[in-house]
Amino acid sequence: MICLLVAGFYPAAATGQQPVKLTFWSWRVEDKWAYDKIIQAFQQRNPGIQVEFVPFKATEYNTILSSALTAGKGPDIIHLRAYGGLETFAAPGYIAQLDFDKLPELKTFSRQLLDGARGRKDGKLYGVPFATQSLVIYYNKKIFAQNNLSVPKTWDEFLTVLKTLKDHGVLPLANGGKEGWTLEVMSGVVAPNFYGGTAFYDAVTRGQTSFKDTAYTNALAKMLDLRPYMHPNFMGVDYTTMQQQFINEQAAMFIGGSWEIGFFKAQNKDLDFDIFVAPPSKAGTTPWVSSYNDGNYGVNAKTPYMDAALKFIQFTATREFGQMFTDMLAQLSAVPGVEVRDPILKHVQELSRKATPYIMLVGFRWQAPTGSTLLQSALQGMMAGSKTPEQVGDEVTKGLSAWFEPFQGR
Amino acid sequence: MNRPLSGRVAAQAVLLLNAFLVLAPMVIMGLSAFKSTREIFQNPFGLPGVWRWENFARVWVEAKFALYFRNSILVTMASIIIILILGAMAGYALGRFRFGGNDLLYLYFLSGLMLPIRLGIIPLFILMRNLHLLDTLWALILTYAASGLPSAVFILTGFFRTLPSDLDSAARIDGAGEWLIFQRIMVPLVRPALIIVAVYNLIPVWNDFFFPLVFIQTDRLKTLPLGMTTFFGQYSTDWGALFAGLTLAALPVVTLYALLSQQFIRGLTAGAVKG
Amino acid sequence: MRTSRRMWLVFFLGPATVVFATFITYPILSALAFSMYAWEGIGRRGFIGLANFARLFATFPYSGLLVNAFWHNVLVFVVTMLIQNVTALGLAVLLARSPWGTRGYRVVFFLPVMLSLVIVGFLWALFLNPIFGLVNKFLTLAHAGALARPWLGDASTALLTLIVVNAWRWLGFPTIVFLAGINAVPEEYVEAARIDGAGEWDVIRRIIFPLLAPAVTIIVLLTFIGSFNWFELPYIMQGVSGAPNRATDVLSLLFYRTAFGEVDTGLQDIGIGSAIAVLMFALLLTVSAVGAVLLRRREVELA
Repeated sequence: MICLLVAGFYPAAATGQQPVKLTFWSWRVEDKWAYDKIIQAFQQRNPGIQVEFVPFKATEYNTILSSALTAGKGPDIIHLRAYGGLETFAAPGYIAQLDFDKLPELKTFSRQLLDGARGRKDGKLYGVPFATQSLVIYYNKKIFAQNNLSVPKTWDEFLTVLKTLKDHGVLPLANGGKEGWTLEVMSGVVAPNFYGGTAFYDAVTRGQTSFKDTAYTNALAKMLDLRPYMHPNFMGVDYTTMQQQFINEQAAMFIGGSWEIGFFKAQNKDLDFDIFVAPPSKAGTTPWVSSYNDGNYGVNAKTPYMDAALKFIQFTATREFGQMFTDMLAQLSAVPGVEVRDPILKHVQELSRKATPYIMLVGFRWQAPTGSTLLQSALQGMMAGSKTPEQVGDEVTKGLSAWFEPFQGR
Repeated sequence: MNRPLSGRVAAQAVLLLNAFLVLAPMVIMGLSAFKSTREIFQNPFGLPGVWRWENFARVWVEAKFALYFRNSILVTMASIIIILILGAMAGYALGRFRFGGNDLLYLYFLSGLMLPIRLGIIPLFILMRNLHLLDTLWALILTYAASGLPSAVFILTGFFRTLPSDLDSAARIDGAGEWLIFQRIMVPLVRPALIIVAVYNLIPVWNDFFFPLVFIQTDRLKTLPLGMTTFFGQYSTDWGALFAGLTLAALPVVTLYALLSQQFIRGLTAGAVKG
Repeated sequence: MRTSRRMWLVFFLGPATVVFATFITYPILSALAFSMYAWEGIGRRGFIGLANFARLFATFPYSGLLVNAFWHNVLVFVVTMLIQNVTALGLAVLLARSPWGTRGYRVVFFLPVMLSLVIVGFLWALFLNPIFGLVNKFLTLAHAGALARPWLGDASTALLTLIVVNAWRWLGFPTIVFLAGINAVPEEYVEAARIDGAGEWDVIRRIIFPLLAPAVTIIVLLTFIGSFNWFELPYIMQGVSGAPNRATDVLSLLFYRTAFGEVDTGLQDIGIGSAIAVLMFALLLTVSAVGAVLLRRREVELA
């Protein structure tokens, strides 16, 4: 019986003739075309291996992956998130452990990025980091020029720019609130300059303070300054609609992540845009930019094609892959030494020198309820006007105290 | 029965308004399927300037609708065939044989009419996993077959009971085997009941979204409702394609309904309307 | 003869019993047991009695989420009764007089019931898009632009909007059931009342409504079960977290999220998930049983 089952599961391995077929799951629906090309390059070099890239809607990806892996199924190659998002799948043993012997290329990767690929409990590596993302503000250069505007240097100047646009009948911000995570991104752009960036991050992750800290809640309150400059119905605006408004030049700015550059360009070749980072309250200070390891390529511990799968993720750690990835998708590859040719992406790279961890994603996604889940819902309440920033801070702290001991009793 | 004209006009106005509210969104859906995204945004209510059939072609080929349709048809047919065969066999035994525990077994099946099986999804998920059926169409077929059995047993047992008792006794005296009696004599007589059972289960099975959502992850095994969610994720900015996909997905059911509306109305309300 | 008869019984009844017991009875009974165990992923650990329930009721944010979702289910039930079923009754009364086009109206009204809720949900999500959608565009064209709003994004309208979309899909069902109920009222009763000088409204109120009681009970029961199993429409239109800010969260969504993984982490909590399932199960079973008894009693009274 067992023999039969095994034979049934490993038909290719048994005959050794047909090419090995690997499936590769991801949440990057927008990037399918690029991955298909990258995979072609890989297949040319490895004729015995075929890879199929299967993307899922980002907001459903984790649930689907979770069900599949607990079922003992799932893809051979897994696009994993980083930090707590990786831990969820690594801790129960669903992901194959990696090390420098298996993947010597990883030795050259930056430590911060590799930290996003490690299990929290065992400190082992579970994936090849693929990209660094930074949270920025996109602006339409044409609309700025038409309204004689330049990139704001301070928060007050930023508000003036927004007001000028609104007075001229232009929708200043494409952002919406229907999907909570887009509000978390907005908080990741706006808040660090006001809560003091990494110093606060260190304090809160060590439990020396909590999200009830006025430094944090006052920083969140700055998001309310932006509310008048979003669409009057912004609470119903979902991510796709946000993108469409910016792409179709119906809105002057878009607060979002560096992963959008390639998509914006592909959707509207005539769109003349650039980025700036959230301006600080005082001129002359270097602004903080939230950034993080976006995720990792991992291997399903139960894959029957371990060697082939390892070969593929080894490929994702090469300079060649990194260069293709960066050129095609205009995202900052995690592979060291990749040359950034896209001027906007180069701009992102230059401006995010003073990086701070994207607070909930890096620090508070280790257990349920996660900081992100809590913050996203609470921010929807705040932006709709039914919650104060203080209530948001309370709710997040209280929710996290379920598993983050330092917050208990606060 | 003569009623004042004004009353009849008012009644027609209300009924027409409701018919309009039902049909207008579906007509707009169908028209938008032929438009470009820009046209949908700028001219949402009018006829398309150019009839873009290519929207459908794109959805059918690129978005794997052909595959989703195939899976849905396979799952629905297999489930209904199993429901009909097992339901008829059980209904025959319960309706025609007297034996100890008959009533108890009948009530046992009927209990399934009250139990919301969705709430057993966690154990069912683990069971399917242990049977190595997760991420296969069999997980869906077996679940639908099992949840369709109570209504089938209920309807068919009732029908078998109403058949005159000398039918099978006569055949038995002639020396016919039990299977032959069942298959050749009894089943043809309950054909109307079989149709009711089929219709009663057809639409809920075809439309179900919950079980595929939990059981199926592989794209090429998705049924139409689940495939729609993948499609909506991938084409989120292409509204022409989205409406074409919706229209295409609605088309088979709407066509079938146009042909057999009375049977569907009767079949689907069978549990709630007596006689 | 006896043994062969028994064998035939086993042959006829066996397959259905096995399939039903394996895929319905066993999972449902296990669901009750599962709520009493500790879980690690889908691995079952020790027996912990009611600890999962204690966790569900007493720890933030579960306690708040549970109550929040429960009241949303109640609201769905009440509002659906008021807008969907009352409208259906009105339409059924109109159709029962067999006006011109009755057959056509029946067919048209029932049509959306055939559509998958996935299609219905996506269709209306496109229509309700606050910027590109046709609902707000229509309001602007009709000089009611002030009414335009982010229907699905505003916490005060999101759930109601979903209920209306749901009613759009379901309206034909109670209409047909009520219509069948009214048509089943013996014509002599109505005629007799008319001869006694009863007006139109009197006939409806005194004769038709009381005799419609079984149909009403069935619809109330089905609406209740439907409201408390509500999943597809909020999932498709608002996502699995019940956006915005849990304004459309209902018990089934909460159950699915906890059992099969939160959106941002995929973390599963089978213990809490099973506890929610048990609570929903108890509620549905109690109400169904009460409903069935009521139905039975009314039928007896009528006979």
